[in-house]
Amino acid sequence: MTDIAFLLNGETVRAGGAPTRTLLDYLREQKGLTGTKEGCNEGDCGACTVIVTDPEGGLRALNACILFLPQLAGRAVRTVEGLAEGAALHPVQQAMVDYHGSQCGFCTPGFVMAMAAAHAQGRTDHDDQLAGNLCRCTGYAPIIRAAEAAQGAPLPGWIESDREKLKTLSAAQTAGDAAARADAASGPAGGRAPYEPEAGQGTDATLTEAPGFIPETADELAAWYLDHPEATLIAGATDVGLWVTKGLRALPETAFLNRCEDLKTITREEGRIRFGAGVTMTRVLETLAAPYPSYAEMVRRYGSVQVRNAATIGGSLANGSPIGDNAPALIALGATIHLRRGDDRRDLPLEEFFIDYGKQDRQPGEFVEAVSLPEARENFRVYKISKRFDQDISAVCAAFDATVENGSVTAIRTGFGGMAATPKRAAAFEAALTGQPWTAKSVEAALPALAQDFTPLTDMRASAQYRLEAAQGLARRWFAEMSGQRTNVLEVQP
Amino acid sequence: MTEQFKMDAPATDRRLDGMAQGLVGAPLDRPEGPLKVSGTATYADEYRLENLAHGMLVRAPGNSGRVRLANRDAVAAMPGVLAVIHDPRLLRNPAQGTANKAPVQDANEAHYLGQPVALVVAESFEHARHAAHALKIELEGGTPRPVDPETAAIEPQSSKGLDQGDLDRAMTEAVHAVDVTYRTPSHSSAPMEPHASIAQWDGENLTLRGSYQMLKYNRNELADALGIHPDRVRILAPYVGGGFGSKLGLAPEAVAAAIAAKETGRPVSVALTRPQVFETTMRRSETRQRIRLAADAEGRLAGIGQAALVSNLPGEVFAEPVLQATHFLYAGENRRLSLDLARVHRLCAGSVRAPGEAVGITVLECAMDELAEAAGIDPVELRRRNIPEKDPESGKEFSSRRFREALDSGAEAFGWSDRPATRSRREGEWWIGYGMASAARVNVLMESRARVTLAPDGSAKVETDMTDIGTGTYAILGQIAGEMLGLPRDRVEVVLGDTDLPPASGSGGSWGAASSGTSVYVACQAIRAQLAERLGVAETELTLKDGQAVFDNRTETLAEILKGDEIAKEGHVLPGDTSKAVRQATFGAYFVEVAVNGVTGETRVRRMHGSFAAGRILNAKTARSQCLGGMIFGIGMALTEELAFDDRDGHVANHNLAEYHIPVNADVPQITVELLEERDDWASPLQAKGIGELGICGAAGAIVNAIHNATGVRVRDFPATLDKVIAGL
Repeated sequence: MTDIAFLLNGETVRAGGAPTRTLLDYLREQKGLTGTKEGCNEGDCGACTVIVTDPEGGLRALNACILFLPQLAGRAVRTVEGLAEGAALHPVQQAMVDYHGSQCGFCTPGFVMAMAAAHAQGRTDHDDQLAGNLCRCTGYAPIIRAAEAAQGAPLPGWIESDREKLKTLSAAQTAGDAAARADAASGPAGGRAPYEPEAGQGTDATLTEAPGFIPETADELAAWYLDHPEATLIAGATDVGLWVTKGLRALPETAFLNRCEDLKTITREEGRIRFGAGVTMTRVLETLAAPYPSYAEMVRRYGSVQVRNAATIGGSLANGSPIGDNAPALIALGATIHLRRGDDRRDLPLEEFFIDYGKQDRQPGEFVEAVSLPEARENFRVYKISKRFDQDISAVCAAFDATVENGSVTAIRTGFGGMAATPKRAAAFEAALTGQPWTAKSVEAALPALAQDFTPLTDMRASAQYRLEAAQGLARRWFAEMSGQRTNVLEVQP
Repeated sequence: MTEQFKMDAPATDRRLDGMAQGLVGAPLDRPEGPLKVSGTATYADEYRLENLAHGMLVRAPGNSGRVRLANRDAVAAMPGVLAVIHDPRLLRNPAQGTANKAPVQDANEAHYLGQPVALVVAESFEHARHAAHALKIELEGGTPRPVDPETAAIEPQSSKGLDQGDLDRAMTEAVHAVDVTYRTPSHSSAPMEPHASIAQWDGENLTLRGSYQMLKYNRNELADALGIHPDRVRILAPYVGGGFGSKLGLAPEAVAAAIAAKETGRPVSVALTRPQVFETTMRRSETRQRIRLAADAEGRLAGIGQAALVSNLPGEVFAEPVLQATHFLYAGENRRLSLDLARVHRLCAGSVRAPGEAVGITVLECAMDELAEAAGIDPVELRRRNIPEKDPESGKEFSSRRFREALDSGAEAFGWSDRPATRSRREGEWWIGYGMASAARVNVLMESRARVTLAPDGSAKVETDMTDIGTGTYAILGQIAGEMLGLPRDRVEVVLGDTDLPPASGSGGSWGAASSGTSVYVACQAIRAQLAERLGVAETELTLKDGQAVFDNRTETLAEILKGDEIAKEGHVLPGDTSKAVRQATFGAYFVEVAVNGVTGETRVRRMHGSFAAGRILNAKTARSQCLGGMIFGIGMALTEELAFDDRDGHVANHNLAEYHIPVNADVPQITVELLEERDDWASPLQAKGIGELGICGAAGAIVNAIHNATGVRVRDFPATLDKVIAGL
């Protein structure tokens, strides 16, 4: 890639080489900053959490293990080594010492960074802010107490100084002008020696990678992608990151989208909210928390703070994962996916975008530009069921919405995840309920139809029978909740 | 000069109670905390040595056949590759804890899928990983091998069992009888730090920076594996990112790194990836346990049976000691305990936090809950009625045992008297229930050494090869030395994790604190005696506090007494007659409230309490944390943790933290821990027993029992996942 520049603990650094080099490897191997730990190398444990500040000044916790260097162009990175000011520990560091939040200490830097990010944002929802960090020693409570103890302590000076320095980190230093970026993206990658293809157990791919392309606008991306339809588009890298760190795949051509500010807009028109594909799930959650609290609750659990801070709504749909929780919810909401190829644009109901396992209705050179959905649907609910409460793939994810007029169901939309090879509507169930009175009896009568809609698999997350039973149970829960019963999974405090 | 102490008689003098500094027992912070929170505590794979090369292990793709590297030359020629190592000295699997010699070494034959059979060494981690991925391993002449313990060949472990009285008759004559079979799956320790080693040779001398729990054994194991004298091996492990048993014995990456470093003439780092941690470090054996309980009308046990099936690789002697605490926890004169070991080609089974009791007591406690239900007796009362006066098998006295107090105090603290009737309390979609279980774990003192040096300025240094794996060793050894020598905590430096220092017990089996702590105590006693001699007073007349000696109504500073000299003493503790004379164990009780969703089968633990007695508590903060951590292991064991094996080839199907579900913060409720005041004179001169594992020894049983109280559903196949719960609802 073009050499990119970013701030690392307040100092400007330039990095080149293969565009799929992760920040974690760069920190530990190249910079010798081993405070940032590798616990899983796939975004499950949070031990590698760092703080990244954007040019606009926003600051967030991210997993360094699935963060590629080009994503950092023009940004500021803080690692655990850069948290204290001289000899004075950051307030969250001191609190972790005082409250015995660190035992073996290996998860500690990751927790500390997630806590410091939350502290800087004035967050007090510590359970959520730290949901992306695993600890095997402490049982978490001492860590939560430490986070509480640090609340309200003065902010460290580096937050402002990083913001100031970012203003003078010019675009030329970060990614160059459009022509230069496109040029640079066609040459060989610097840094690591290129690899030759080899016959292997799992892959015979070469690790030779062209420098990544870092467009500044969606127009630039559209034009380039037409000429490079085989390229991998990378937004948050929470999925693609694993292709590299776990699948050991080489990505011969890549484009990094997170400098395209026009893909990050949220607009409202004609009763619909339109999210640019590059809007992070953190911002989606914030935007939809008021109109769709059940959606916000589901998103709160489907990824950690670190993952939501990186993951984008476009990315979550474009890869078509059958286990993603976003698609079922958005399908039930009647979302539209907006696709773009060069200057051609087309819109699809989201459910039509998913054709088959791993196969989406996307043409070569075409990318997801935006997703839109209604601003309010009062009967919409989505439920996520997983073995572990946080950070777990759903056994079943079910979403429901109905239009009820004069006591009858005039229209219904559902979305299910974990029940089939793609996120899917339950057509038979919907048909069975449409036109019926909006009563528990009608819902009950329609439940058997779910067995026509789905033949789920038995796997480690749940048995086929459980999935079907749970899907039916969730339809019951939906109606119960619509009729005013309390069903919130969080309402279990004694 | 070495001061030896053998634990042959109860230490009734309780010297620590008479000391003046007030450090022992205090909830002091760990001194290395500031290093850990700032990322400056250096773990095994964090030494950026000059010219460091990186190695990546390559696994066997099957569980049988001769190993052939099909494209070795091509891989060796790949860019950045320095060596492809396929050496007969490579370990088949890690050594068992305290093995003291190399485990099976066999890189030429595949025994389980995931076995490391080669190492690719390269200039960078990425080069090594890519080339390792390209290396094609072929297995020739393999035959199908058993991977399912329930159908594999069995080796009875008769020395672990017992047949006393007539259990069959007791069952027939019982007023209330329970005969149930439970299953627990394999578990992985899953410490947050993946195993890693950096090997570096200086001529014929090897330095290994590793992530290990028991360095004196690990040194001998490594030397044996390489065929060199242990004097040539030095292991450094000042910081260890958790172990929970998985780092007790020398593991394959250490030997591979050492061979590679020798062959390439460079320091070599070999770090396991998270999937490799799941595939090649120790697993806890799955168990099948048939429990039989025979009781009279009042619930008094006439008989106990526990027939357990566990598994391991051929050639491994370790058999999960399921029966360990069943031998003494409850009364009952008719007892039949048996342990069978199935030989399977899954990864090696060994110690995972509280081997034996973690699953053995958990299941026994579930069966006791079933008996309480059958007999219509409150579960706490049932246990109280069955506390034996003496060890029910050997007839020996218990050393100290505040089991009844833990049951009563825990029940009181939790509010057990509000326990609802089975399947009677509902809040919206949620069924609410309470459950409890007893805790028990054997106590052991091990040989251990430490050197304590009192410097002329009156500061002290403690040196031993003992490890701190998160347990608090840095804190407590400093507290003991400070207490004995009358020094504030910050006047004592503790140096750990280096085999050049006096060899300690290592961290494992809950014995680390009491054993290494006693060695420090013994050394300090010798220093005190010398100080007393200089002052011409009896040691027992000497009060040391804040760097000063008070005696005969006089006060002198340590510096004045030392007159420029230093006093260095090595303390050496050996287990003795007290380990055989009495039954030593730690006890406790867990109380849990759960909510079980009637629609989805999800279980949420709403609150959890544990009351524990483990002798003198050396540091209330670190001890409490050990209990918390153990109880959270129990939550995982009850609800989510399970190593899943493919039943065709025995490979681990969920080898990552996304699918091997250790509890997350949201799974953990507010947990309270009560540490009962206790002194165990038989256990150690510190009157302390082990506490590192007690918190897991039955915890999961309390949760599953609470699920039953909430819903009426008995899940006898751990973990109690939502699909199993809903199937019974």
